[in-house]
Amino acid sequence: MFSRNCADRHTCFGLLALRFNYSPYLACRTAPRTCTSYSTPLGNFALIFGDDDDGPCYLPSYAPEKAEDDRDLLSSEGVNGGGADATSEEGTSEVQEFHRNEDEYPPSQSPSDVNGFKCISYNMKELDLDDDRRSAENMEGSCEQAKDSDIEVEPAAGNGHVEGYKSYASSECGGASKSGQGQDTDLLKRDLIPGKQHQNEDDSSAAWRRHKKHFFILSHAGKPIYSRYGDEHKLAGFSATLQAIMSFVENGGDSIKYVRAGDHQVVFLVKGPVYLVSISSTDEPLRALRRQLDLLHGQLLLILTKSLEKCFVKNANFDLRPLLGGTENVFSSLIHSFSWNPASFLCSYTCLPLSHTARQAAGAALQDVADNDLLFALLLSDSKVISLVGAQKASLHPDDIFLLSNFVSSSESFRTTESFSPVCLPKYNSTVFVYAYVRYLDTDTCLILITKNSEAFFHLKDCRARVESFLMETHVLRDISNSVARGGLRVEDLPAGDSIYGSVPRSKRVGTVGDGKASNSTAAGTKERPGVGGAAGLWHFIYRSVYLDQYVASEFSSPTQTPEAQKRLFRAYERLYASMHGAPGGSHQMQYRRDENHVLLAWSTADFEFFAAFDPLAEKSSAITVCNRVCQWIRDVENDFFFVGASPFNW
Amino acid sequence: MATVGTNNMQAKLVLLGDMGAGKSSLVLRFVKGQFQEFQESTIGAAFFSQTVAVNETTVKFEIWDTAGQERYHSLAPMYYRGAAAAIIVFDITNNDSFVRAKKWVQELQRQGNENLVMALAGNKSDLASKRKVETEEAQTYAEENGLFYLETSAKSAQNVNELFYEIARRLPKAQPIQPPSGMLLSDRPADRTAKSSCCS
Repeated sequence: MFSRNCADRHTCFGLLALRFNYSPYLACRTAPRTCTSYSTPLGNFALIFGDDDDGPCYLPSYAPEKAEDDRDLLSSEGVNGGGADATSEEGTSEVQEFHRNEDEYPPSQSPSDVNGFKCISYNMKELDLDDDRRSAENMEGSCEQAKDSDIEVEPAAGNGHVEGYKSYASSECGGASKSGQGQDTDLLKRDLIPGKQHQNEDDSSAAWRRHKKHFFILSHAGKPIYSRYGDEHKLAGFSATLQAIMSFVENGGDSIKYVRAGDHQVVFLVKGPVYLVSISSTDEPLRALRRQLDLLHGQLLLILTKSLEKCFVKNANFDLRPLLGGTENVFSSLIHSFSWNPASFLCSYTCLPLSHTARQAAGAALQDVADNDLLFALLLSDSKVISLVGAQKASLHPDDIFLLSNFVSSSESFRTTESFSPVCLPKYNSTVFVYAYVRYLDTDTCLILITKNSEAFFHLKDCRARVESFLMETHVLRDISNSVARGGLRVEDLPAGDSIYGSVPRSKRVGTVGDGKASNSTAAGTKERPGVGGAAGLWHFIYRSVYLDQYVASEFSSPTQTPEAQKRLFRAYERLYASMHGAPGGSHQMQYRRDENHVLLAWSTADFEFFAAFDPLAEKSSAITVCNRVCQWIRDVENDFFFVGASPFNW
Repeated sequence: MATVGTNNMQAKLVLLGDMGAGKSSLVLRFVKGQFQEFQESTIGAAFFSQTVAVNETTVKFEIWDTAGQERYHSLAPMYYRGAAAAIIVFDITNNDSFVRAKKWVQELQRQGNENLVMALAGNKSDLASKRKVETEEAQTYAEENGLFYLETSAKSAQNVNELFYEIARRLPKAQPIQPPSGMLLSDRPADRTAKSSCCS
C-alpha cells in the first residue's frame, strides 16, 4: 500500500503546507518515521488510505490490519503554538479519559524535543479515538470514577451564563454572533449572513487561513467549482494542489481519505469527476465531516443533476462555475446548517409541533390535490415539516427534504411570488430533473409541489389555490403560525415524575401543543431550578424515532442561550452520535460522559435514539431518571410532534 | 398565446436575458412598483400576472420571469413556448449581456412564431455614465430584426410601464376570431342513441 516514492509525496504535502500554511501548529520537525508519516518543511502529516468508499468511515476501523504501523504512525502537535492543543481548544482537557482497547494500545505520550521545537507525538490510535478521549464513559464501565474535582467552570446561578469560554463560534461564523431574545431560541440558526463572505480573500491572505472550516468542490482536472471562503478564481492554484494530491494517490490505484495535520483535519471525498475536500480545525468526528461532504455533493446534484458528469466526459477541463451562478447562498446556508441543524448529522427530519387534528387537516388538504401529475406535496414551516404526501409509490428521503428545504429557504426569490423550477432530488433519482412549484403561503409556511411534468404549472397553481383556501377555512394556517410563535418542547415543561415530585396527575402536563401556557405554569422543574434548565439540570435533548426517521429537539434552555454554548452543545451531540454509530468494536447502547461543559447522556434502542445534555454537576442517577421521564413524555405527546401514520417511507 | 375576448385578452409574456440584466427588477417595478438594490437571483422562473388597459381593451399579462443563469438556458423553451410577447433584457453597462441578448433574439426567431411581439430593453439607463452599449447600436440592431427598443431603468422606473403598455398595444388586436373548432352540438334529443340502447 505504501510502496511509492516518498520524495514525491513530500513535495505534494509541502505544496499543501505552503499553500495552507499550518504554522505555527506545525512548526515542529521530527525525523521521518515510516512511510505513512510525511515530513515536510512545515510539518508532519499522517495519512490514512482505505478502499471502502461508502461504508462507515470511522478512522480506527482501519487500524487492525496494520496494527504494527499504528504504533509508529505519527502525527504531531506543536504545544508551543498557542492553543494548538486540540483538547484545550474546547476546554475539555484532563477530565476523565477513556480508551477503548486500552490494553492493546496504551497511549504513548512521549514529549520530545527535536531541533529546538517541543513536540508531543501521539500514538495514532489514541489521537483518533479523541471522540472517546473526551471523558467518555462506557455505561457498563467504571462511571463511578468521575472526577468532579476536575470541573473548574461552574454556571453562574442567576442566568446560567458560563464565564471563561474561549470564543468558539466567532471565526467560523464570520464573526457574526449577535444574539437577541425572542421566541426562537436557536441563536446559531440566525447567524447566517446571506451570500458569500470574505469574497476577496485567497490562500495568500492570513485571514483566509484562519477560518476554522473550509469546504472546496473541484473538478478532477483541478478546476475550482466552489469554495466556502475566498474567490474561486484566485484559489485556482490551491485547487490544483488538492487535485495533485488526490490524483497522485489515485494513480496508484488507491484513494486518499483523510489527512490529519496538527489540529487540522483534511477530508477528501471523490464523487466521479467531482472532488470534495473539507479542511477544518473544529475537531469534529471524521464520520460527520464525511457526511457533510456527502450532503454538499447532494446539494450540487439537486441544482444540476448527475448529468453534470457528462460535461466532464466531453471536456475534462469543463468549468462548472458558470452553471452554478447565483447559488452561493444555497451552499453557504447548507454549510451553516452543519453547525446548527441536527438534521445534518441525524439523517432525519423534524416536524413543526402541531395538534394532531390540525396536522391531519393539513395532510388531507395535500392528499386532496394528489393526482397523477403530483409526485410529492410538502408543506414546510421554515425547515420543519408540517405535512408530506407522496402521491405515487415513491418515498422522499430525509436528506432530500433537508436539501430541498435548504435550497428553497436560502433563495430569497421564492418568497416574492410563485415559482416553477427544475430541481433534482438526489436520493429519489439523481439523474433527472423534476419540477418544483414553490409558493410561500405566509412568511414561514411554504408549499412545495413536485411534478415530473414540465407543463403542469397551471395545474399546480390551481392545486395550491385549493390547498391554501382549505388551510384558511380550517384555520390550520393560524394554528401553524401560533405553533411557530410558541416554539417546541421546553425542558422546563417536563412533567414531574411521580417518584421525585410526588404524584401529580399527568393529564395536566401533557397538553403542550394545545395549551402551552397551562403546562408551563405547572412545571415543577422550573420551580425547582429557576433559570438553570429543567429537572435534574436537564439543559437540552434530542429524541430521534428510528422507525419514523424523524427527530424532535427541545428548545434551548437558559443555560444554553449563548451562541457559543449552543455551538458547543451541537458539536458534542455530533460527536456523541458518531460514537454511537459505526464505532469499531460494536456500538454502545448507552453512554454517559462528563466534561466541564456538560454531562451528556446517549441512549440507543431499536425504536429510538435519545441524546441529552445536563448541567456538568448533574448526578448520574437522577439524569437517567429524567431521561426515562423525557422519553415517556415524548411518547405521550408523540402525535403532536411527529408526523405519524401514512408515513411515506412505508409504502 | 394571446386570446381575445370581447374587450379583454390574455397574453403570455416571457422575459429573457443574461443574469443580472435586471429582468426581475423590471417585472417587480411593473407589477409591484418596487425596486431592490440587491435583487436575489431568480431560481427557475417566477410567475406574475398583471392587467393593463389600452384602447378600451384590457390585457392580462401572464409574465414568466426566467432565471438568467446558464444552467436554465436549456429549459427556457418550457417558458417561452406559446408566448405572445417576449422582452429581451440586457444591461447597457455590460457588453456581454448585449451579446447574450442577440442570441436570445436568434433563438426566438428560429421558433418561427410570426405573431410574437419582441421588445429589446436596454436596462439600467440610470447608469448612463458607465454605458458600454450605445443607444444607436442597440436601436439599429432592433430595427434590423423587427424588435422595438426602449431604454429602461427599473431603479428610476423610467420607461418601465411604457415598455409593457407598448407591448400591449402591439399585440395582434384584430386577430380574426376563429370559428370555434370542434363540432357543434345541437339541442335535438339524440333519438337514435336512445333507440339503440340495450335496455330501452
